[in-house]
Amino acid sequence: MPGILKTAFNRYWGVLLILVLWQAWVTIGELNAIVMPQPADVVVDLVGNPGIYLKNGVQTLALAGGGLLLGMAFGSLIAIACWFSRLATGMLVPLAMIFSSVPVVALIPVVARLLGYDIKTVMAIVVIVSFFPAFVFTSAGMRALPPGSEDLFQVLGASRKSRFRHLVLPAAVPNWMIALRLAAPSAVLSAMLAEFLMGQSGLGYMFRAAAGDFATERAFGTSVIATAVSVITFTLSQRAERAVNERWR
Amino acid sequence: MIRISKRRGQDIAYGAIGIAAFLGLWEYIGVNQLAGLTWPPLTAVLAFLFDPSRQTLFVRATSASFSMVGAGYVAGGVLGIVLAAVAHLVSPLKEGLGRLSSVIHSIPSIALAPLFIVLLSKEWSGMAIATLNVYFILFIATQSGLAAATRAHHDVFTVLGSNRFTRLIRLEAPAALPAIVSGLKYAVPAAFIGAIIGEWFGATRGLGLLMVSAMQNFQIPLLWSAVLITSAGSLMSFGLMSLVERFVYARYR
Amino acid sequence: MSGGTSILLDHVGKDFEMDDGRKVVAVEDVRLEIGAGEFVALIGPSGCGKSTLLRMLAALEQPSRGRVTVDGEAPEELSRNHRLGVAFQDHALLPWLSVEANVELPFRIASRAVDHARIAELIALVGLKGFEKARPSQLSGGMRQRVSIARALVLRPDVLLLDEPFGALDAVTRRQMNLELQRIWQEQHISTLLVTHSVDEALFLSDRVVVMSGRPGNILKEVSVPFGRPRDPEVMRSGEFHRLEDELTEALEQPGVAA
Ligand SMILES: Nc1ncnc2c1ncn2[C@@H]1O[C@H](COP(=O)(O)OP(=O)(O)O)[C@@H](O)[C@H]1O
Ligand SMILES: [Mg+2]
Repeated sequence: MPGILKTAFNRYWGVLLILVLWQAWVTIGELNAIVMPQPADVVVDLVGNPGIYLKNGVQTLALAGGGLLLGMAFGSLIAIACWFSRLATGMLVPLAMIFSSVPVVALIPVVARLLGYDIKTVMAIVVIVSFFPAFVFTSAGMRALPPGSEDLFQVLGASRKSRFRHLVLPAAVPNWMIALRLAAPSAVLSAMLAEFLMGQSGLGYMFRAAAGDFATERAFGTSVIATAVSVITFTLSQRAERAVNERWR
Repeated sequence: MIRISKRRGQDIAYGAIGIAAFLGLWEYIGVNQLAGLTWPPLTAVLAFLFDPSRQTLFVRATSASFSMVGAGYVAGGVLGIVLAAVAHLVSPLKEGLGRLSSVIHSIPSIALAPLFIVLLSKEWSGMAIATLNVYFILFIATQSGLAAATRAHHDVFTVLGSNRFTRLIRLEAPAALPAIVSGLKYAVPAAFIGAIIGEWFGATRGLGLLMVSAMQNFQIPLLWSAVLITSAGSLMSFGLMSLVERFVYARYR
Repeated sequence: MSGGTSILLDHVGKDFEMDDGRKVVAVEDVRLEIGAGEFVALIGPSGCGKSTLLRMLAALEQPSRGRVTVDGEAPEELSRNHRLGVAFQDHALLPWLSVEANVELPFRIASRAVDHARIAELIALVGLKGFEKARPSQLSGGMRQRVSIARALVLRPDVLLLDEPFGALDAVTRRQMNLELQRIWQEQHISTLLVTHSVDEALFLSDRVVVMSGRPGNILKEVSVPFGRPRDPEVMRSGEFHRLEDELTEALEQPGVAA
């Protein structure tokens, strides 16, 4: 089927090019197998040790997913609580914006030291990383109301409660989904980084262990699984956002 | 003279109160050791940070890290903008460049660690990850910016018999500028994150290295100082880009 | 309904302060009475303060001078008791709700039982049968305006305010909507203020046409419309209609008290 091949080439020539360059580099540079594993060796390690990869992959995915949802929940609940107080919003929003403009992963070592080297610390880090986008975007969404809607609710004699329920809360939903999409990849990344720096298990830890043992197939195999975990979270959050937007706008 | 509306003034005051409360809380927790010994008071961290005897240490680490950040920021920014423009102009390349970018984006930077350790000298992995992070943000921003000119504006150029180059320079590029500048703003923390992560993979210098070794050796004030410098650098660059963004939005939108 | 609601704008004026500190007089000094069950149309060049006047009536703006009363009370009472229907110039539909749910919204806000028959009837009346489940983003500008009219009417308000509600409609639909609006209004005799650009729409629908001058907004002229009801579109061909139309158009073309 040349048609399909052509489409595939049009789409993926860039990826292909990178792979060819990689192969060329390995061949021309004559890097030996300890430094640079053959793709086949990586596959053998993946297929030969499914248990290790699965266990650690699931752990990281669960930590990232659980922390993400918890952080999103905290962030949006606090944003909602703040809606009822201009002072609280005024105080917290600039702070949260400051935190979103600094590299939050730099807090990992600090949190690790504060809470101890523990799997709960990994979770706490993911919660912190997901909290800020959720708070910032939910707050903004509750203030970006459709044109004229505030006048409408006033004219209809809406109580504060019904304004909140029928206008403010639904208006924040698309922004909440943006926060989810933005927070998902950083949740996965920070879970792995936390495991890398201080964990005893999980994909991040596997990188460190493999590097220490010069087990390059294991390191590259872990890369494959880490990418898969990232793609899963990423795709799910993107799908969710798209589905919600279709219904919401 | 700038007139500040009452509402705006209130926002600024509340924000200042919030930041002051945060700093005060930090100090209070530290002084009373509410979070244990690993949470130092703000004043202790600042005193440690500005102690003249440690100046060389911090200056060396900061310049090493910030030059990685800067180099990655520039390289990623140029690559992202240029490749997005190429994808925009040469339609057969569009699909492939877009896919490549999103594949790169979906690989978490830590998964590139083995690759960088093998291929590059460890010293450069910070810059390389910063470059990739910035590249993706700028590629997407430029791509959507170049599509921002409205149908009606394009029709004007078509009717006037404009050539491709004129259309790019006079219509699409100015229309893309706000998106690009916003992209440059959001790329700032991404560049810092990239550089720090890269240094965690085994650099011999820099703030990231300082953080890890301080964490492992219980050097609490050193740890907080390194985090503080990194955050301050990112915050200031972000603030600077926000000013540029405000100017560009006022002029081009 | 006990004889309807009457509205008085008693020497009302409104100033806006611009960002640079300058003051803009949007409405200078307007005295306007809308009797119980009366239909008043307001015409005038754009920017003359028609919307501002309507917003003061809806208690969305506080007048800088003078006083607005509704049956002798503050206009806030109207919305507080869910007795006010407004169709805004920019429709103000909620994008996440379907047509049906948008029309339903006033019931929910007033915490009243949703009258599904009423909703279906109004949606049919504004010609949107079959679009109940559509979202505002899937509708044309004219269709959105019609949804907002249905929403304004759904609670059977005592006072109806319409800000250029048919602006985005084509001539044929507009004529049709005018007929429907007349029918609804006659059933209920709602005190109504209609802001419009169209002189013949104003003449066809209202009991009285008020012409405003350009900035600062003042009332230039008032004309009582003599035609009986229900009005047939035929009335628009009469000599009397044309005479009034010319008179009003001429008043509109007078240069406003130039600023
Ligand atoms: N919120 C506001 N702030 C400042 N100026 C306003 C505001 N609303 C209306 N204006 C000004 O008041 C004048 C009347 O506006 P408007 O009532 O909308 O006119 P119309 O509806 O007759 O077109 C205009 O000059 C407008 O610019
Ligand atoms: Mg108006």
